[in-house]
Amino acid sequence: MSSLILIFAPIFLSGFIYLATKKTDITKYLALGFFIFLLFKSVLLYNVLPTSGYMLLGEFLKVPQFSFTLTLQVDHLSVIMLILTSILLILVTLSSWSMKNQAGYFALLIFFSGAIFGVFMSTNLLWFFIFWELTLIPMYFLIGIYGAEKRVFAAVKFFLYTHVASMLILLAFFLLFKQTGTFELTMIKEVVLVTPTLIWWLLFLGFAVKMPLFPFHTWLPDAHVQAPAPISVLLAGVLLKMGAYAMIRFVIFLMPEESQKYAFVLLALGIISLLYAGFMALYETHLKKMVAYSSISHMGLVAIAMSTLSYEGLSASLFEMIGHAFIISPLFLIAGFLHHKTSSWYMKDMGGIMQKAPYISAIFVFAGLGALGLPSTMGFIGEITILLSSMKAYGVWVGIIVLGSIIASSYIIWTMRRVIYGSMSEVVAKTDFTINRVEFFALCIFTFVILFFGLYPAPLFDVINQAFGSMQSLGGVK
Amino acid sequence: MSGFIILFIISLISFTVHNIKVLKTISILGLLGSIIFSTLNYSVPLVGFELTSSIILFEVVLFIVIIATILSLDESIAITQTLFLTTASILLLESSTILTFVLSFEAISIISFVMVSFMRNKKEAMGAIKMFIAGSLSTAIIVLGTALYLIDGHSLLEPISSTLTNFGIFGIWLLLLGVFYKLTIVPMHTWAADSYAQIRPYYAGILSGVAKTVVVVATFKIFSPFILNTFELSSFILLTLAIITMTLGNFLALYSKKVEKILSYSSIAHAGYMLLAFASVKSQYAATGLLYIAIAYIFMQTAVFLLLDKLSNGKGDTSLEDLQGLGKTDKLSSLFLTIQLFSLAGIPLLAGFMGKAVLVYSVVDAGFTYVALIALLNSALSVGYYAWIIKHIYFSDTKTNKLAKVTNIVYISQAILLLGTLYFGIFSFTIFL
Repeated sequence: MSSLILIFAPIFLSGFIYLATKKTDITKYLALGFFIFLLFKSVLLYNVLPTSGYMLLGEFLKVPQFSFTLTLQVDHLSVIMLILTSILLILVTLSSWSMKNQAGYFALLIFFSGAIFGVFMSTNLLWFFIFWELTLIPMYFLIGIYGAEKRVFAAVKFFLYTHVASMLILLAFFLLFKQTGTFELTMIKEVVLVTPTLIWWLLFLGFAVKMPLFPFHTWLPDAHVQAPAPISVLLAGVLLKMGAYAMIRFVIFLMPEESQKYAFVLLALGIISLLYAGFMALYETHLKKMVAYSSISHMGLVAIAMSTLSYEGLSASLFEMIGHAFIISPLFLIAGFLHHKTSSWYMKDMGGIMQKAPYISAIFVFAGLGALGLPSTMGFIGEITILLSSMKAYGVWVGIIVLGSIIASSYIIWTMRRVIYGSMSEVVAKTDFTINRVEFFALCIFTFVILFFGLYPAPLFDVINQAFGSMQSLGGVK
Repeated sequence: MSGFIILFIISLISFTVHNIKVLKTISILGLLGSIIFSTLNYSVPLVGFELTSSIILFEVVLFIVIIATILSLDESIAITQTLFLTTASILLLESSTILTFVLSFEAISIISFVMVSFMRNKKEAMGAIKMFIAGSLSTAIIVLGTALYLIDGHSLLEPISSTLTNFGIFGIWLLLLGVFYKLTIVPMHTWAADSYAQIRPYYAGILSGVAKTVVVVATFKIFSPFILNTFELSSFILLTLAIITMTLGNFLALYSKKVEKILSYSSIAHAGYMLLAFASVKSQYAATGLLYIAIAYIFMQTAVFLLLDKLSNGKGDTSLEDLQGLGKTDKLSSLFLTIQLFSLAGIPLLAGFMGKAVLVYSVVDAGFTYVALIALLNSALSVGYYAWIIKHIYFSDTKTNKLAKVTNIVYISQAILLLGTLYFGIFSFTIFL
């Protein structure tokens, strides 16, 4: 029952919180407190998990005629996602500490937390879909109200694009129900399906948009650029991860045989995303767009690791997902911060920021080095494990994915050269780069996590391996 | 029938009551009484009428919506008209033979003509005349169809016959096409888009939200055995009509600039979705799906038009620009409007989503997977214009605020309708009887 409250209380109370606190500034404290509570709950949940399989948290709102029951079940994978989500929500709240007009903003964040917890906790396909779609609503308003100049276009495009993709997912779920007679994820067996190929493709396309994989990524640069910086963090750190999580759970684990057959599609799209988005980032002079393309490029790596369908590959992909969330977030935050201060998105207006704001520049450089996979950062561990696992699965030729790292080095170092170092531009010279202390604290936490797990990944890998170790016993994956 | 008797008496009394507050109290008490009698399953048996559990549920929902509507009304004539329409709706919903169906259908038509003829300017007169001409034509076609069915040698006093010759099938199809005029199925839709946008929004809400759903539910009840009998032919015709209706409705809505016009086209698109249930009658979920979307639709469509009526002071003709900045000036109204529009767009946790989900599943269940895909994509496309309305409410700055202030009683009535949308979005076991 408590997990049910955890999901529905934020969704329904966010409106009241907004109306009650719109004239005060306690909303952010409420949000922060609630997200810390969520983190606490998820860690508690992690401690009581069985070593393998799902733990049932409860079944609610039963409609047996339609197999429509809110079944809340968690396993290691979903609890890891819950913990990641709650940490990011806390950091997002801290990063938006100096936000103006904030009651609505934080109320929407609270709403979002309920929906996203629903996504990771429910194993009933239809309820999963309901929460999956529900995450769009707060995002639509967060981008549309609090975003930059072209926010309306970006918000509507984001909403429409992902909503259309979701329709494919819904159709696939309906076909699964028709052919198996249940919406319950744990009860569906691949062997009884009549049209597994059609279902696989519908699910794959639907989730590929959210991940996003080339050529379905076009909504992302717009949404990322126009969203306020903390919301970009949420997009990259939570929404994209939601797509990757669904890809693992509803494509790879639900239909291992079909996935085996079409793994090459995932691999090919992953490699194309990696390289294409890398080149786009290299070409881009818009700072935040560069970061957005770098984000797509990293998700390409995640897809490559997934396509191996192996224990090592999936572990590596999950590590990279977590690493990517922490590495890309400070880049987005600092890009947003620089825009806020200099009123420009373009690298040509920046330069020499190191001299005026050394701490922020240092964090940007460090996170950038993480993105290009420098040893001692999380990026390195993620990329090397992905490289090894995919070479093991496909042979040495997959080594071409190191090209991705080389491209990443080029665009990151070149960007640093143009933005952080170099001669000081006029705009930078007359700008004051003081940052809110709380926001700076959030940036420091990101940096600390990148460094800590970059030097000492063992505890994180223990947790991750358990996620797939427990799934291994369910069968299906090599 | 008990609801019918109570409401008929109250409708007749309402002519003599001139105090609006007394009238409101009496009608709401009467509707509450009808709800109680309906839920107690206390019915007066009558030849030609039949009550099923799903019809009882739908009637209760109908009464709740009418209570919310009457709460926000401030003209006694409108209350009287609404009460009469509800009375006729009960007749139509409970009828089980062709004769009672046709007669109560005509009763609803006549009341709706009376409703729209209460016009105050040229624009509303245009809307009323369009509706009247289309309605008369549909009546003519229905009567012709009924006559052909009679000539085929079947009794009108019984449920639809299962041994029809081609002649009889043609007759029934004529009858159905006549009914489709009221349901605004393409190509019989042209009157609706203009008419709903030109008459007073309150009447547009009652006609497109209440009258239309009542007709859909009743038609399904009477004609589903016929469609099942002639499944090959009927499902083909119905699927074609449904696909054309929803696609055209959605595309035309995308190009409209007035809010009422957008909602009229979206109403046409919704008629297309509802028609899918007729086509997939083979599936056991079709009846549930239709009931679900009808219940969802009656809440959301009525709520949106009711609020537009109040915001535009009964004038209608709200352009998208008029809504700009509403999110800042009137937070509650914009919240109500937004949630109901999301429900219309089929966003989860609201009744509109679950209605569409069960409905589209029945299409998949009947084996028309590709039609289901078209329906889903149409539904996704509809987000384009609903999100566009919401964009004007929240994302734009206030320019000229032409909208009227909304009184507290309207908020209460909107809250009732919103609760309905939320309740049926979450507690779907109520529908699966």
